[in-house]
Amino acid sequence: MKDFAQINRRDFIKLGAAAGAVGAAALGSRRLVAMEQKLGGEDFSATTGAARESVPYTCLACNIEDGGIAYVENGRVVKLEGNMDHPNTRGKLCAKGNSGFLHIYDPDRILSPLVRTGKRGEGKWKRISYDEATTLLAQKIREVIDRANTENKPEILNEIVLKWGRNRTGGAAERFMHALGSNAILHHTDICESSKKVGLEPSWGPDIESCDWANTKYILNFGSNILETAYFMNPNAQRLVDGVVGNKAKLVSFDVRMSNTSGFADEWYAPYPGTDGAIALAMANVIMYEDLYDADFIRDWTNVTAEQLKEHLKTFTPEYAEEESGIAAADIRRIAREFATTKPATTFSYRGPVKHVYGSYQEAAIHMLNVITGNVEKKGGYCLPRGMGWPQPEPEPPKGRVPSLLATPPEYPLASHHVSTLAPYRVRKGEAKVSVWMTFYDNPAYTYPSSHVWAEFLKDENLVPFFASFSPFMSETTELADLIIPDVTYLERHDPESMPSGLYPCLSIRQPVVKPLGGTQEFRQTLIDVIHKVDPDGSLGIKKYFAFDTVSDWMRAHFDEIPGLKEEGGYNFLKKKGVWPIYGKVDPNTAKIVDRNGNEVEADYGLHRKELSASDMEGAEVDGNGTIRKNGKAIGVQIRGRNYVGFGTPSRKIELYKESFKKFGFNPLPTYKRLPTRERKDNELVLTTYKVNVHTQSRTASLKYLAELYHKNPMWIHTKAAAARGIADGDLVRVTSSVGYIVTRAHVTEGIRPDVVAISTACGHPSYGRLAQLRQREQAPDWAQGAASPDISNNVWWDDRGVHPNPIIRLAVDPIGGSQGWFDTLVTVSKAQPGDSYGDVQASVEASDRDYEETLRYAYNGDIHRKNHPEVDIEWDALPPAELEGVGHPDAG
Amino acid sequence: MHEQATAVTSTAGSTVSGDTVPELRAQGAIHRLLARLLEQEIDADLLQLLRSDLREPLAAVGIGLDGLMPAAETTDGQILEALAEEYTGLLVAPGGVSPYFSVFETGCMFQHPCDRVVEAYHAAGWDYRRHYSGEFPDHIGTMLGFVGILFDAEADAREGITDADAEEIARQRTAFIVDLLAPWAPGWCRRAAQAALHPFYRQLLGLLEQMLWSEISALVDRRQLRDIQLSNRREPKKLDYNADFRKASGV
Repeated sequence: MKDFAQINRRDFIKLGAAAGAVGAAALGSRRLVAMEQKLGGEDFSATTGAARESVPYTCLACNIEDGGIAYVENGRVVKLEGNMDHPNTRGKLCAKGNSGFLHIYDPDRILSPLVRTGKRGEGKWKRISYDEATTLLAQKIREVIDRANTENKPEILNEIVLKWGRNRTGGAAERFMHALGSNAILHHTDICESSKKVGLEPSWGPDIESCDWANTKYILNFGSNILETAYFMNPNAQRLVDGVVGNKAKLVSFDVRMSNTSGFADEWYAPYPGTDGAIALAMANVIMYEDLYDADFIRDWTNVTAEQLKEHLKTFTPEYAEEESGIAAADIRRIAREFATTKPATTFSYRGPVKHVYGSYQEAAIHMLNVITGNVEKKGGYCLPRGMGWPQPEPEPPKGRVPSLLATPPEYPLASHHVSTLAPYRVRKGEAKVSVWMTFYDNPAYTYPSSHVWAEFLKDENLVPFFASFSPFMSETTELADLIIPDVTYLERHDPESMPSGLYPCLSIRQPVVKPLGGTQEFRQTLIDVIHKVDPDGSLGIKKYFAFDTVSDWMRAHFDEIPGLKEEGGYNFLKKKGVWPIYGKVDPNTAKIVDRNGNEVEADYGLHRKELSASDMEGAEVDGNGTIRKNGKAIGVQIRGRNYVGFGTPSRKIELYKESFKKFGFNPLPTYKRLPTRERKDNELVLTTYKVNVHTQSRTASLKYLAELYHKNPMWIHTKAAAARGIADGDLVRVTSSVGYIVTRAHVTEGIRPDVVAISTACGHPSYGRLAQLRQREQAPDWAQGAASPDISNNVWWDDRGVHPNPIIRLAVDPIGGSQGWFDTLVTVSKAQPGDSYGDVQASVEASDRDYEETLRYAYNGDIHRKNHPEVDIEWDALPPAELEGVGHPDAG
Repeated sequence: MHEQATAVTSTAGSTVSGDTVPELRAQGAIHRLLARLLEQEIDADLLQLLRSDLREPLAAVGIGLDGLMPAAETTDGQILEALAEEYTGLLVAPGGVSPYFSVFETGCMFQHPCDRVVEAYHAAGWDYRRHYSGEFPDHIGTMLGFVGILFDAEADAREGITDADAEEIARQRTAFIVDLLAPWAPGWCRRAAQAALHPFYRQLLGLLEQMLWSEISALVDRRQLRDIQLSNRREPKKLDYNADFRKASGV
């Protein structure tokens, strides 16, 4: 007997159809629930299932300093992810950050100190111990100190030079140099955004803005690729998407190239390079003349009147801006009205406007749009950056006694972030002397304009008698060193951090997530060792500034006494959590920071309107302009009887009118100056560069995850410009500037202005490891693709490492902010000539020398400066002299 | 771990080598010599030894010492400097030939192959202590030194100098050679010899390659030997690059 009827497939299907009709909710397991996406915080071994050790850290793949968690298994970092406790990065890392652990195990990493044995740059080395290496460096430094003391010339100490590219040591590098008595500290900021900083600092104190993207309704973006690469890319990109998608904000983007940010925008405009300032001034003109401005804010919080501004802006009409930029006056007018009438609104700017001669004016003009519309420090507006400080261990060394010509050239008295680009020219001309050149996180022979000049300079033992690098990688610059004392990677070292990467101020820590690989030594320890060997018995008075037994002692001195943090455990708290304070948790649905009740933890706004307390006011005086002073220092501003903390300027108001600019013959109000590149010939194009989302400028080409994503950088050229030159997509082209030429390939696209070409950075490394170079020792060609690694052997499908544009980019210095004018080089582009090969580079040192002389003419004591500023009412013959001591450079020591 | 390498395991039937004690001692010594020559730079004492006691035996296996002999106006210091420079360029500085098992197998320093090597050291009662920064237990020189120790230990056990089990030591040695050296070390020697600029290191690496093959072929059967040969022949995949395959933009 059969218990069941014979059933066939058709019967099953019928039953299924009937069951389906019942509805999903009525049937099915009541036990299974959808897996919740965990928002980080734990991770498990794929082989054993055991929980992996998690260690918080602060990223340094680039400069944004995102909060991260490293997962460690068997003493190795196996995975990185964002730290959910970091209020600004909210548990997210970018591609660079996720790949960072590859730096640790990179087979091309330098793990042992190396001393040069052949000629400089020849690549011949002998390994030595850290002890021998620090002894050698200390000896070279001591020789300079002894000479300075014997000759009683403290200026000799400035022959000890430290140049850094990315210094996130929290004051350690500066402490080292000041302890040695040298002010010859060269930043990289002038090849980055120093003109943005100098466009902002005199006006409102800090050097950057913090936009409240998530809560805004209108964003004007000038030359910034927020979604991919700009300052605070990760946190800003998250909030920009929150604002545009979640809050329906309108995004208008000005950029010569269709970046992904411009692609995401509601409207994209491609102005002529270096004319963003004219557009911003024209918008200000519309806002002022159509009475769309915030009269109360201008009256209360600036040092100008509306009438003054109107008078100043009179000639900067939309029609004028159209003439300069190529953007239609009607669009400029409409956007100005929209910006002024949509509340809240904000601007953001980065490399596009400021990496020009006179970039500081452009930044000041863009900044002014927020001020005149009263969007400053409002929810959804243009806010002050929020950061936190930490104390330096006592005693703290004073700066050196004599200013350094290399660090603070007197022709650039307003360039508070130094002008390092001029250094090799000055030394080559005998204007400054070097005895010991040290370099940290720096690669000028690759990253600087006319980079060939740096290579020539550093190769010359007469100009640079001793050159020590602290790099853990063999960069284009480090390969020229006499001594390499390798630092560890950022996942193996200590630093205090606080980046104003959002509206929630916080402190964070960088700490070793694993032991430094192979017994390597972090930079901070190397500094301690060198100082202890320079001044072994303390008789020079230097050793006392480095009285740390361990690096941890040094970190405790930073963190253990900070009010609030101290009560929570100081250094120990940061070691455990990575960041302080903890504002709340990230809501998995809204991505907002919420408290334990699920309520949003809002950022503070209106920082300038915080009122001074009675104790603050005790003994304070109020001057005629309302500035409140105490002990000779401005501490606030009185407005209609109320005492506010105000802004970080001398008057505690926003100083759209900058007295400091006028002193040196610059226009004290935001203005626009036509650049020489605006006068290009018909066959010329403006060469621009850009960063890409998966690389830093120079340090990431050796990381395999990132190299696979992006490894070659063809030149973007507009369809019409290409057609006019007979160039097709992928063609080999020769790009020629007044400095020299490169041979690369063309990427023909509609996504760029017809009179501009663009080449990305990060490619075309002649050094920096097997992936960056795609070759190794010439004698072993089979090794070239890295036979060692299955990944490299089998998965490197490309043999194109790109072509670096920097050798043909002219040196051009913004006379105000000191920034390099990266986008101030004119080029001609033609099909490659017979004999040209992909990757050819020709660059002339003599041509770069001429650029040096030319750019000095724009400095405040140069002849072009005066010619370019007829509107400035000043005694031109009575300008302060350009002397090292006397001009009063803000950082002259 | 490379697929071909994992196919090779220590299944060799014979553990006790059948070598006489003097033969074991000799093999221990040659491994120790090669270990010393590869693990770090040559110093003055070693240079003297190479020129005196070891000169003839080395010449007999094809290692000429011309490059180590002082020519006119050349001092020992200069010779040592030149050797140190070559050693650093070949085995230490970026751009050379990384001497680590981990790098050969994974492309990264200090990975799981390193753990396997350390496990073997620990099992035999040995630990690792680096001399310079940037050194790891899976260095070819250190691994050869460990094999030398095992040869000596087996000889000691055979002679009753220690209570250790000679057969167990031989098994450890065989496993170490077959599992941890055979899959990569001979091939590494060939590539490193190609990259060497100084004839002494070139010859030294050539000798090591031959010695390893000789040793391995005595420990495994023909089929395993074929697998090991394949594993050591691993070549970088050559690119058949076509510039037109992708647009220049890479997108």
